[in-house]
Amino acid sequence: MNRALFQYHPVFGYIYVPGLKARIEHEGGGYLLKTNRYGFRCEHEFQKAKRLDRFRVLLFGDSFTAGDGVSNQDRFGDQLERLEPRVQVYNYGVSGTGTDQQYLIYQKMARDVECDLIVVALFVENIRRIVASYRPYRAANGETLLHAKPYFTLGANGELELHNVPVPREPVRPDEVGADRRHQLDLGGRFLWLRDRIRGVSPRLRDLAQRLSRYQPLPSYGHPEHPDWLLLRSILTRWADEAQAPLLVMPIPFYSYVEETSSATACMTRFEELSSIPGLTVHNPLPEIWKLSMADRRAFRFANDVHPTRRAHRFYAESLCRTIQPMLRSHQGVA
Amino acid sequence: MKGTTVLGISAFYHDSAAAIVRDGEIVAAAQEERFTRKKHDPRFPKHAINYCLEEAFIETDELDAVVFYDHPWLTLDRVVQSVAATAPRSAEQWAKAGSTLLGSKIFVDRYIRRALNSDVRVLFTEHHPAHAASAFYPSPFDSAAIITMDGVGEWATTTVGRGDGEEIEMLREIDFPHSVGLLYSAFTAFCGFKVNSGEYKLMGLAPYGDPVYADVIREHLIDLRPDGSFRLNMEYLGFLDSPLMTNDRFHALFGGPPRQPESRITRREMNLAASIQKVTEDVVVAVARHARELTGLSDLVMAGGVALNCVANGVLDREKVFDRIWVQPAAGDAGGALGAALLASHTMLDVPRKRNPTGRDTQQGSYLGPAFSSAEVRALLDRNGYPYIQVEPEERARLAAEALAAGKVVGYCVGRMEFGPRSLGARSILGDPRSPETQVTMNVKIKFRESFRPFAPSVLVERCGEYFDLEEESPYMLLVAPVRADRQIEFDTSGFQAGDEDMLALVRQPRSDVPAITHVDYSARIQTVHHDDKPDYHAVIQEFERLTGYGVVVNTSFNVRGEPIVCTPQDAYRCFMRTGIDMLVLEDCILHKSDQPAPSDDGSWRTEYELD
Repeated sequence: MNRALFQYHPVFGYIYVPGLKARIEHEGGGYLLKTNRYGFRCEHEFQKAKRLDRFRVLLFGDSFTAGDGVSNQDRFGDQLERLEPRVQVYNYGVSGTGTDQQYLIYQKMARDVECDLIVVALFVENIRRIVASYRPYRAANGETLLHAKPYFTLGANGELELHNVPVPREPVRPDEVGADRRHQLDLGGRFLWLRDRIRGVSPRLRDLAQRLSRYQPLPSYGHPEHPDWLLLRSILTRWADEAQAPLLVMPIPFYSYVEETSSATACMTRFEELSSIPGLTVHNPLPEIWKLSMADRRAFRFANDVHPTRRAHRFYAESLCRTIQPMLRSHQGVA
Repeated sequence: MKGTTVLGISAFYHDSAAAIVRDGEIVAAAQEERFTRKKHDPRFPKHAINYCLEEAFIETDELDAVVFYDHPWLTLDRVVQSVAATAPRSAEQWAKAGSTLLGSKIFVDRYIRRALNSDVRVLFTEHHPAHAASAFYPSPFDSAAIITMDGVGEWATTTVGRGDGEEIEMLREIDFPHSVGLLYSAFTAFCGFKVNSGEYKLMGLAPYGDPVYADVIREHLIDLRPDGSFRLNMEYLGFLDSPLMTNDRFHALFGGPPRQPESRITRREMNLAASIQKVTEDVVVAVARHARELTGLSDLVMAGGVALNCVANGVLDREKVFDRIWVQPAAGDAGGALGAALLASHTMLDVPRKRNPTGRDTQQGSYLGPAFSSAEVRALLDRNGYPYIQVEPEERARLAAEALAAGKVVGYCVGRMEFGPRSLGARSILGDPRSPETQVTMNVKIKFRESFRPFAPSVLVERCGEYFDLEEESPYMLLVAPVRADRQIEFDTSGFQAGDEDMLALVRQPRSDVPAITHVDYSARIQTVHHDDKPDYHAVIQEFERLTGYGVVVNTSFNVRGEPIVCTPQDAYRCFMRTGIDMLVLEDCILHKSDQPAPSDDGSWRTEYELD
């Protein structure tokens, strides 16, 4: 059954349909999805004022944060609340969004919400999404359609310039996008033709192909002056500058980084560089992940779907909890 | 919220379904076909299960049990014994059945656990006890006689039992191959309609004919005894030893080969339909009399595919064998999922039976399927740029009623989808019953189906007696009763009686002041609409009454021929755009055909659905 999970939004492109209760069929056995009245997959209804005895975290991210593949209660944000009951997590994650859209969600929906920490769970692939003006979605009839999204570019003086707002409502077919704008389509990375063919083979063969080829999915992290990285850095810089609380960036690694079938060095280096931005700290869980056995690491994703399993979410929750707990000690009311 | 939660499943024969029951209360139930868009889909109901878990909003590990509605080893026993009795003639027939049985069916417990990705406890009921449970537990009766009749379960084809509180006791059974359901299906096939689907057409065709073959059927095909038991003469029937329902002796008995599907319907088919209908009514009444004697109880509940024969139900009602009758609206195999879940809850897991404090049933109007919020509907319409207006509920009722009063056809998709084969105002196409053209227009231009088929009325329960000779409620469209005599209009049947086989000429003649829902024998298949069951639909009919003086509308299922009834707003919009429906009501959104962008399809969808 195709429930409409998302509704159009003129600024972010889309958000979840408010008040939704759905169960999504999935290779993991299916998962429960519930949204609040604001259109976010969050167990809490958002309130501006916060309780003094709670450490409130505003959590932003994409499907890894929103929890594609697992039920609400199994996501790392919700598991964090159970691990540390003094923490309250407002989950603003929306599937398929880029860091640009997540920043706009913050601006429009969360800027005046009292909090103690803002966590951007940044799936590293987002570096590709932020330069896209369209992203593909599969329509109910199986056809791939492109939906417009807002995006930023860097102006001559390095300032962020917003485009595509209000976001065009009508989807377009890939062949309707002119050659001059093709570079603005995020179709999932390089070698589309090859990836389409590999998608049809068994997961084991795919993994083998990745191990042998050591295909680097995200070359944009390769240089500190790469325009895509500069754009991502600028968005995070501006976010940290505007934020009412410290910004913690937690890069969520690509599965090939987790399983060490492609090099994560450049990506990790770039995120380390972010620590120089005032008001922004970085918590990179990847070194902790690498301490796990390869079998445990493979269990971070499903057989076909690369989204985090319940087990991976548990790991991220524990990792984040260890980072946040020291902050609680100095926090009046919850210490 | 933790209670005893049980998931019931029916699958692998036809009309797969799932149902979920928590602490004896029905939470959800749906047929797989509504999600896969394949009519009578027999496959494992993974989408229906997903929906049931969604409605209950639970994880699979929170289920106390999953119950399958049929005992595969007993069915295998029947297959093996039938092969032994009829070999080698039946080799082809039973090789097919055997391969299915030895595949997914026999290891259904493993299949279920794998599909649910869970080591949940899997239980089994037998087929007819599951039907019996689906009829008794949701009924408004503390105790009742139970009759189940269908094609075949494991062995049983007809049972008589008794329900009392949480207990169900099976008292008598008639076994395969002696089956009134299969006999009716044999005539369905012989008349050129599809088995397990076209039985309803045969019932609709019956009033055009005369039961001239009834005595032949009694003499050669079925031996109906005074105690309600019966035996079929298998010399005339093919289903035991061939892939066909009938054989050459049957054909010779009824004047030649079977009618080819989609060919012209002749007087022979009309008379055959009338004849088997009459015999079936006789059997149902005889079994009921026996059930009354056997149990001494004054109320009756029924399920099984034969219980969907609402004409027979109407006869039984008028015969007053029992004081009150309640029929499970999902009486076919789909309802077995619900019955299995209820039976396991009450007899295996010791859950007390839930009763409705109002004294009515606990079937909740059979609105047990998915609903879609206004926000979901608007998300769909906005995303696709479909023009609509959003209205308040009162405005919705007024606009829909005004359109109906102006002779428009309205697609109505509001609230939770119905469980069972009938549309009851949640996924319905509505029309004006006053126009003699409505029946032909809706059959030919909206449903793309045979023009002889009658339409059913939805009538305000408080007005039912003003239109029909029916004293009780019929909320599930499972009782047929005559239109009141003072509303009937004599019409010219002389040409038809003289041998003209044009049923359309009959259909076009007004037979009452509500001709669109009056069949050629002045009967109507009635749905009484109670405000408590479906206030939005009640409001539409009430508004139609305010405008026209008539508290009744035409109600037919929201689909085209061969298509499962629509489920989602997307399904409804697609059907709306492919047919002559003028207005679509999707929750609180109103869409007019004239405002919509031209559909992109080229009409090839007409071959998408297998004709039923």
